[in-house]
Amino acid sequence: MEADKKLIRDLTPEIEKTSIKWYITFFIFFAFFAIGIYGLILQIDKGHIVTGMRDNVVWGFYIVNFIFFMGLSYSGALISGVLHLFHTGWRKPVIRMAELITIISLIIGPFFIFFCIGRLDRLYFLFIHPRIQSPITWDVIAICTDLFGCFIYLYLSFIEDFAILRDYTELNVPPWKKKLYKTLSLGFTGTEKQRKILSNARMIMAAMIIAIAIIVYSVLAWIFGVTLQPGWHSTIFGPYFVIAAVFSGTGLLIILMWIFRKIYHLEEYITKRHFVNVGVLLTIIAAFYGYFTFSDYLTKWYGSIKMDSILIDKLFTDYYSLFIFANYIGILLPCIIIAFPKFRTIPSITVAAVIAVTALWVNRYIIVIPTLETPFLPIQDTRPDWINYSPTWIEWSLTLAGVSVFAMLFMLVSKIAPIISISEMQEKDKIEILK
Amino acid sequence: MKKKIIYTILLLILLPVFSVYLFSQEITVISPYIQLQYFKNTDDQRILQTTLTYSKNRMELPLPGMEISFFTVGDQKELVATALTDNKGVARFELKSDTRLKAGKDGMWAFSSEFKGNDTIEAGASEITVKDVRLEMVLTQIDSIKTITVNAFIKENGTEKPVSGEVVKVYVPRMFSLLQVSELTLDDAGTASVEFPSDLPGDKDGNVTIIAKFEENQIFGNVEKRETLTWGLPTDYSVPVTHRALWTKTAPKWMIYTLSVLLAGVWGHYLFALISLIRIRIDAKKQEAKDEYRI
Amino acid sequence: MKEKEENESERSSRRNFLKKVGVGVGAVSIAGVAGTSVFAGNKSKSGEKIKLLSPDGTLVEVDKDDIKPVKEILNELKEEARAGLPNRKFCMVIDLARCKNARKCVEACQEGHLLPKDHEWMRLYLLQDDNHTAKYWFPRPCFHCDKPMCVSVCPVGATYKRPDGIVLIDNQRCIGCKFCMTGCPYSARVFNWKDPEVKVPEGHVYDPETNIPAVEGTVGKCIFCADNLRKNELPRCVTACPMGVIYFGDILEDTVTNGIETERFSKLMLDRAGYRYREELGTLPSVYYLPPTQRMFPVESGLEDSDESIKGRYKNAGPR
Repeated sequence: MEADKKLIRDLTPEIEKTSIKWYITFFIFFAFFAIGIYGLILQIDKGHIVTGMRDNVVWGFYIVNFIFFMGLSYSGALISGVLHLFHTGWRKPVIRMAELITIISLIIGPFFIFFCIGRLDRLYFLFIHPRIQSPITWDVIAICTDLFGCFIYLYLSFIEDFAILRDYTELNVPPWKKKLYKTLSLGFTGTEKQRKILSNARMIMAAMIIAIAIIVYSVLAWIFGVTLQPGWHSTIFGPYFVIAAVFSGTGLLIILMWIFRKIYHLEEYITKRHFVNVGVLLTIIAAFYGYFTFSDYLTKWYGSIKMDSILIDKLFTDYYSLFIFANYIGILLPCIIIAFPKFRTIPSITVAAVIAVTALWVNRYIIVIPTLETPFLPIQDTRPDWINYSPTWIEWSLTLAGVSVFAMLFMLVSKIAPIISISEMQEKDKIEILK
Repeated sequence: MKKKIIYTILLLILLPVFSVYLFSQEITVISPYIQLQYFKNTDDQRILQTTLTYSKNRMELPLPGMEISFFTVGDQKELVATALTDNKGVARFELKSDTRLKAGKDGMWAFSSEFKGNDTIEAGASEITVKDVRLEMVLTQIDSIKTITVNAFIKENGTEKPVSGEVVKVYVPRMFSLLQVSELTLDDAGTASVEFPSDLPGDKDGNVTIIAKFEENQIFGNVEKRETLTWGLPTDYSVPVTHRALWTKTAPKWMIYTLSVLLAGVWGHYLFALISLIRIRIDAKKQEAKDEYRI
Repeated sequence: MKEKEENESERSSRRNFLKKVGVGVGAVSIAGVAGTSVFAGNKSKSGEKIKLLSPDGTLVEVDKDDIKPVKEILNELKEEARAGLPNRKFCMVIDLARCKNARKCVEACQEGHLLPKDHEWMRLYLLQDDNHTAKYWFPRPCFHCDKPMCVSVCPVGATYKRPDGIVLIDNQRCIGCKFCMTGCPYSARVFNWKDPEVKVPEGHVYDPETNIPAVEGTVGKCIFCADNLRKNELPRCVTACPMGVIYFGDILEDTVTNGIETERFSKLMLDRAGYRYREELGTLPSVYYLPPTQRMFPVESGLEDSDESIKGRYKNAGPR
């Protein structure tokens, strides 16, 4: 029982008290968020003229961020689903984080679509005048479905923890929180029958989440893939986007593991073993991702289709450094760091993950923007300053606001729920004791 | 000496200003372009038409709402009608059969139309002479060969005489303009004929209108004969309402089926998960009741 | 010699009346019948007459049953704008041999549709396919494709294809997702990045066939002057072109005209080897081009008279 108490105390560092550090960090993020809101108000007031988007590059940072956040979300689902389905032993401390990544980025992602559309006031037209032929409609349906599924899945994994927190009488929290735990735990007491129902439901939802994640991210890729634009019109885009999403999600998982470990002193629970394991996963995915990237660009480069050649030319001139960073450094460096046991330290793996995640964001950028800058008809007869895309401060501020909201939501969740699943950890202890 | 210089400078400054003033005065007076035309349509209605336009920036623009007077010109000029120009700058007047028309020595009728002008528009006049002509169009079909024959006659001293050497144009009217099918020159017998193209589309029953006309003819003015018959290729163009494609309102069936199956599958599983939650709740309630009973 | 077919359809005249009196709404509401307007064509009539002031100041007498709310008129106009003209299939032929970048088509288009600056539906490109091939001027309206990618990808059905071939946008439906802009391979669509600030004629009722006024945050594009077509008039770019570059007509009638000359469409295609831009994309455009053979002007003359701001638009024109 003492072990259990320690477990609860360690894994719920923010539930009882709120540190000044927490407030300061939250305030900083909130400041970024507020700047973003100011930018958004300006954009709504003055129109999209305040962004860097123009008639050729009609999609900019917002869409890049949208795909990026959606990618993080689906990958979180995929990681937690796969790890859960295959009963991977070391999954337990990280699975909750993956689930939270899923839900939080899934909430943030669509907001970037809201920033990108010209008439936010007509958003509900998507529901009252839907056209099934449009990939955007597929995406709307898919995201709604996914959001709902992820909430169920996350909730299923939370029930046991809420029950534990409810039963833990020494917990010093305000009464509303106690009441919340009581309601949310559904009166779960851990009988054989209840456990069986719960684990069954979780199994099915885990499988479902994997399937949906694949479908939904493919749908997102098809928004680009179905058009005729050079660089987008590619059959490989569906699987390519899925693997890229898992890549970014795994990277983010490592980063979050490092942050939580540092802040909440979870060294005991998240060990080097976890970093190496997730790191190896990242390497395997990086290999796949690199393979997809290579085959996509190779076929474009080898074939002599004019538009493809123009696009490749542009990527290797105007976008040279970004291209090299995204598709060489961003893929090879994490592989090298993790492949050699010598380099495998917690900080180095984290650095590799940071590189992977940033590179993936850049990869998204060079998928979206250069294609729009090379339309079939050369860009002429338009204002010369409207030809190339460069984001304005408003787009930057909203991007940062998105990241801030991600952090803020994580911080808020940590005030209510354990950041590592207590129930799973208990189970693990029991198994170890049995051995 | 100094004064002279000052006056010169003043003059140099004022001259352009003044000339601009003069120039702008000049520009406000429009010199119109007036054209009188004679039309005789297929029902032998005779119409005098006057077009009043002016040119601005090399564009021809109409002068609407202007009063045009029509005259017959014989031994003396006689006012027969006045009409206002419409928004295309066109004024029309139909010569009724009771209008006294006196042919001149050469057998020509003379007409004129005048615009009196006003403060901003200069006056103008236009005059034409025409000879009455009888144009005939005969449409014959032998097997699949469709032939258009045109004949033209004029009356001279009470007898009809064929018109030779003049050009008759054959048209088919289209949505925006007339499509020329042929240009015929009348022979000594006042006749010319041409085969009608076999591949010209008509409406959905194959109806086409064929027009033969003297166009802006020096002697006859504009004289036409028209007739509608099924010489065209029938064109039936209608898109079925139920047409399903990517770009139509309704989606292809396979899309709807696929989407429905996918959604039903996924949401079915969700339902299962939600029912599981309810079952947990029910079981927990039972458990609670048991515990209370025990106490 | 121009002469138009006289049998203007009843639908079109009714529509014109509808619009004319639609314009009268402003005056009517001053008279106290707020929010109502007049509509002709209703079969059952009570015979009760009401006097209304039309926008040009004359008093009109209309049947009481003909008075309908503005919203109904709007819907009716929109329905007609979705149905299109019966038994028509419009096409355009652009003779590249005659174009010298006079830009009259652009000006007429901007003026006719009250388009704001930097929001141009008609564009002129200076194309050169390769180093060894010649430059030529390339006017580009919307192609009104028969397999329009822009329409396929629209999530709300704001843009649609009519049976008469015209692709229109209902800018009261458009949500501004810009997917159609990335979908269109011809860059034919433009976005209203800011408030267009157009002076709309008083009492004007919105209709996708005129697309006036433009709305901030929505997409616009060439509409083949659908409003003119209903009046049996040619699109504005066609009549404005001093060189007669642009032919327009009904492909079912096999006839196109540039306002001066009228030609059989099939003959033009046959004699001049007409083609469509990037046929391989399979979008089946309604706009055909005649190659710039035996051109009437040297290509350079297209930039001679234009000012610096126009020249600047073709700075990076070159082979590609």
